[in-house]
Amino acid sequence: MSKPKETKLVIAIPSKGRLKEACGEWFAARGVVLEQEAGSRGYRARFAGMPQIEVMLLSASEIANALLAGDVHLGITGEDLLREAAPELEGRLYLAAPMGFGFADVVVAVSRAWIDVSTMADLDDVCAAFAATHKKRLRVATKYAELTRGWFARNGIADYRIVPSAGATEGAPAAGTAEVIVDITTTGATLRDNGLKILDDGVILKSQATLAASLRGAVWDEDARAACKALFATLGLEAEFKALSALL
Amino acid sequence: MTAFPYYGPADIDALNMQAVTLLKLFKAKGYDRQEPSVLQPAALFLDRSGEEIRRRTFTLTDPSGSDLALRPDLTIPIAKRVVESGPHFPARISYNGPVFRHESKGGKPVQFFQAGVELFGEADKAKGDAEILTLAVEALRAAGCTDFTIRMGDLGLFGALVDALQLPEHWRSRLKRHFWRAGYVETLLDRIGHGDETSHLPQDEKDIAALLETQGDAPLAGRTRAEVITRARAEAAEVLKLDGNVAGAITRLLDISAPIAQALADIRALLKTAGINLDAGLAAVEARVALLQKLGVDRIDFNAHFGRSMEYYTGFVFELRSKYGVELAGGGRYDNLLELLGASAPVTAVGCAIHTERLLATVKGAA
Repeated sequence: MSKPKETKLVIAIPSKGRLKEACGEWFAARGVVLEQEAGSRGYRARFAGMPQIEVMLLSASEIANALLAGDVHLGITGEDLLREAAPELEGRLYLAAPMGFGFADVVVAVSRAWIDVSTMADLDDVCAAFAATHKKRLRVATKYAELTRGWFARNGIADYRIVPSAGATEGAPAAGTAEVIVDITTTGATLRDNGLKILDDGVILKSQATLAASLRGAVWDEDARAACKALFATLGLEAEFKALSALL
Repeated sequence: MTAFPYYGPADIDALNMQAVTLLKLFKAKGYDRQEPSVLQPAALFLDRSGEEIRRRTFTLTDPSGSDLALRPDLTIPIAKRVVESGPHFPARISYNGPVFRHESKGGKPVQFFQAGVELFGEADKAKGDAEILTLAVEALRAAGCTDFTIRMGDLGLFGALVDALQLPEHWRSRLKRHFWRAGYVETLLDRIGHGDETSHLPQDEKDIAALLETQGDAPLAGRTRAEVITRARAEAAEVLKLDGNVAGAITRLLDISAPIAQALADIRALLKTAGINLDAGLAAVEARVALLQKLGVDRIDFNAHFGRSMEYYTGFVFELRSKYGVELAGGGRYDNLLELLGASAPVTAVGCAIHTERLLATVKGAA
């Protein structure tokens, strides 16, 4: 893909839905206007008056991967997706700013019929008992395998296994494909509708849309830094630029 | 060090010669070599071991869609074979071959060679522990490494300590299960000590059953109704309150990491404070120390919180380290593993694995 010559810095933002709208509003509120680029079939955009910055429109999960691969300098996506894609952020990504929208909690949920289970410690007991009684590990359905692994490890739970879930994770306990789930929720309504409850201490991450910078792979030359500095200054993120510079 | 080791002619010859030496020693002690395949069904490791092993296991899918794994150790495939072939016990098996483990910190090799021994079904546990410990020491010496220290612990000692406490059974098993996790056991003890674990469930069985009814069509999700009710009753009935002094003594006891004589003295003092008698467990530790001294190993550290990253250990655990602190060999007792792999009755198991590349580097460095 050939870039226009003046492009010095690439930022990826969500390409559709509520996240895309909220992103546009967030920039507009800070005096930065997003303009769709003609003939780009909706994959590319510009910030008005900032020809040195190219805006790529990608799906939220692609943005996490693009940041990690260094295909883009900056990106906006959910913190849940960033932490899932890179369990060890250090040296790879810098989370510059939470943006105040796209809120979602990554939670551990179990069936409401498990009246004896309300904490991670209870779940730990049940995992061990399940392994002993049923001679197999209790299954946790999730598309957040890395976040789940880290959280269960911190809570001392070892007797379980992760079942990757592509979608409709909340249906897994009723369908019998897993006993427990880890999923995102905003209001908890979908979980309730499926007979599930969130454990009292089962909130793994309170996520929101986050502006992040790639520390590995992306070429941070003088021009890219200058363009980023100008953008961050307009957005009122001078301190964040300073912190980012220190990591580059 | 690289993530993908490449062995030149001199390297691989030296490693092979060392392996021959080790396997010859094992053979002389009655341990016959076996070689499980490198590729194994993924479920063998993923279903029976915890996420810690899973996290470090390389998995792949074969063209038909079955999940396979590169073996992260040889103990599990060998133990599985023992379960399936039903040998005469005690069974003695040795091995030497590459294992594969993901390293979250880059740069460490993802493949390395392990040589080891497994002793299954030796009813006299003290005898089995002694046999494996002796063999580990002799193996290092046979390879030319004479300058090493030993660090040991005993999960059985902790188990006996927990059993001596006035706690409900599932709290005891919870504490034992988490022995290998530094910090967490202390948190649990602290919570019990402060009486923070009070149940909100109704006391009466009928009320518990009624509460379950009110959950409507929420799925039982793999558990039976009886399982849920039984555990709910146990939760409701429990009164958790551990004497603060006792909880404190255990926490301090878990902190002990010292040369063996000092460690034993400290443990005895703390047990006296807490009013707990663990003479049998401590006698087993002392017997191992006496054995090591007879073998001429005198730099022995005892670490009361010495768990292992592999979660299947249940009793005596040890590691042999070079004078520079490099872990050369490690092992211990894992009496639950064969049952987890499908054995119909308990089978005792104790073994040891040697990191042969580190051992070779240590010997070469010393020469």
